[in-house]
Amino acid sequence: MIRALGNWIDKLLKGPPVRYRGVMGVFYYVDEVTAALDALKQGGHRDLSVFSPVPHHQIEKALEQGPSLVRWVTFTGGVLGLTGGLSLCIYSVYSWPLVVAGKELVSLPPFIVIGYESMILLAALSNLIGMLALGRLPRVKSKAPYDPRFTEDRIGVWVPCDGEAAIRVREMMRGHGAEEVHLHA
Amino acid sequence: MSEATLTAQGEARTAGAPGEPGASRMTQRSLNEDCLKLISKPGPVWWTIFVIDLAILTVGLLAERNQIMFGIGVAGHTRPVMWASYVANFVFWVGIAHCGTLVSAILFLFRSHFRRSVYRIAEAMTVFGVLTAGLFPIVHLGRPWFAYWLFPYPNQRGLWPNFRSPLEWDVFAVSTYLTVSSIFFFVGIIPDAAAARDRAKGPFSRLWFSIFSLGWTGANHQWKHFYGAYLYFAAIATPLVLSVHSVVSWDFAMAQVPGWHSTIFAPYFVAGAIFSGVALVINLLIPIRSAFKLEHIVTVDHIEKLGKLVLLTSTIVTYSYLCEFFMAWYGPNSHERDLFWWRATGHFWWAFWIMMTCNSIIPLLLWSKKVRRSMSVMFVICLFVNVGMWFERFVIIVTSLARPFEPYSWGVNYKMSWTEGAILAGSFAWFFMFFLIFVRVLPAFSVAEIKETLAAPLKRRAA
Repeated sequence: MIRALGNWIDKLLKGPPVRYRGVMGVFYYVDEVTAALDALKQGGHRDLSVFSPVPHHQIEKALEQGPSLVRWVTFTGGVLGLTGGLSLCIYSVYSWPLVVAGKELVSLPPFIVIGYESMILLAALSNLIGMLALGRLPRVKSKAPYDPRFTEDRIGVWVPCDGEAAIRVREMMRGHGAEEVHLHA
Repeated sequence: MSEATLTAQGEARTAGAPGEPGASRMTQRSLNEDCLKLISKPGPVWWTIFVIDLAILTVGLLAERNQIMFGIGVAGHTRPVMWASYVANFVFWVGIAHCGTLVSAILFLFRSHFRRSVYRIAEAMTVFGVLTAGLFPIVHLGRPWFAYWLFPYPNQRGLWPNFRSPLEWDVFAVSTYLTVSSIFFFVGIIPDAAAARDRAKGPFSRLWFSIFSLGWTGANHQWKHFYGAYLYFAAIATPLVLSVHSVVSWDFAMAQVPGWHSTIFAPYFVAGAIFSGVALVINLLIPIRSAFKLEHIVTVDHIEKLGKLVLLTSTIVTYSYLCEFFMAWYGPNSHERDLFWWRATGHFWWAFWIMMTCNSIIPLLLWSKKVRRSMSVMFVICLFVNVGMWFERFVIIVTSLARPFEPYSWGVNYKMSWTEGAILAGSFAWFFMFFLIFVRVLPAFSVAEIKETLAAPLKRRAA
């Protein structure tokens, strides 16, 4: 029973079979990866993906990655949270008007605390949603053939291509110090 | 076991590239093994501690059942002391929860790399600390089943909570803090859960870590958005952590009770929170590094740096204590002057002096480098700090309420009941239950961030 359940989980995690078309190079050294990326870009290859256990600035630079757009999602969430929190307080005092100690119904200083906390709450939630949406998470299947060593100490470079181009990419990766090159065509 | 160590400045004493001297001793692969080895079948020691913990938790739950059945009267609350140990416990646990965000967010923004080896434990402590703190406003209620009245929701009677009340601010602050610190904690775990998933042997553990890793592959676009978001989480969490304990302090400071009505309360409470939180992190890290032979990852340098934080916050807290006394003496308010004199010499003098000894006098030992680098002495000092910080909350709450403006109620003094004692013990068991489970089922050290401490493997360096 447990074994059957285990097999079912394995099948579930494996997901449906995906046919990849491209070349996956496995590297150890970061400078070899960046050199390979430069050569690939010069060869006209786009949509390159790099898998690594830690982020490397050299790789980000080689891929010409700009800053993440997640900041705008966070900012929007923060603005909505601030206005939402203040609106809730103001709405509630008008919907049940109860004058306490002769003070104004809409007394902003205490409401700012609620607005502030709501701003942070919604900014954090939006930040999370933005990160997941932009990072395409959660996902069952990787966009490239995945190797568990990519969370250990190896770096994978995936180039989507096929035919003659794939052969050229394979040779080029070998020339740039790839430990292994896998052709998926 | 690896013999290489990480320095507190965030540099590896040995680089990771093969062929380099010492490379075989600490590599990215060995870090995976070392950091994730806590996730294994627990041994008899863990089970013994866990069973004792559950036994204490059961006693706490029975005490809470007793209180629900027979009413809040079983607690030792007596007029005028109607806030006592439960509110002290609430403030204590919210304070404990502050260290995680300090270490993970504030030190991240300041690029203090020594945080990398210790922040996951601190973050876990934050989440479990807020979970524990959140129980006490409910335990403190006469009718805990109406706790949901605290939250604003549209209802038939058109009633809304009083948004001018600091107690309502607390609801927003603490629930926001729980949400944000949990998100921060679980987001940080994603790459490490992926590393654990990739070395998991059985299908069940693979499924477990797949859930927490969300299908992470370490792709460049994932790292880009991960660190983009992480920076903003840190930027959001920093003002949040400062606001939460400020709001908690305003539960008291907004009231015109002698000993409470003071503008110093917000920074005083924040410093106290960080003080007790860092002390508890040290109390947790020292046994973990020793039990799992992780002295090369959580080094003496790391503990020493945390010890300096304890010393710094101890001086801030001591300054606040002295400042309160000075203001009472120098200011025009005779009630304030009377209260502070009574606090140090009256019915609860012992609690006051436990607080002063543990929070202001014993931490002075930390001026000595030798003391900061001695793990056993650090452990004992930090235990005293936590005892002292619990008493600080007790002193602030109980002594102020026991000495109100009207002298007719001065003779009536609060005495903690067995129910309150059992619930306090149960709260520690509740916290440690989560912690004991956490270290066995999720990565307790950030593999990815600790790996960043190693030098990037470069061919030109290895050649």
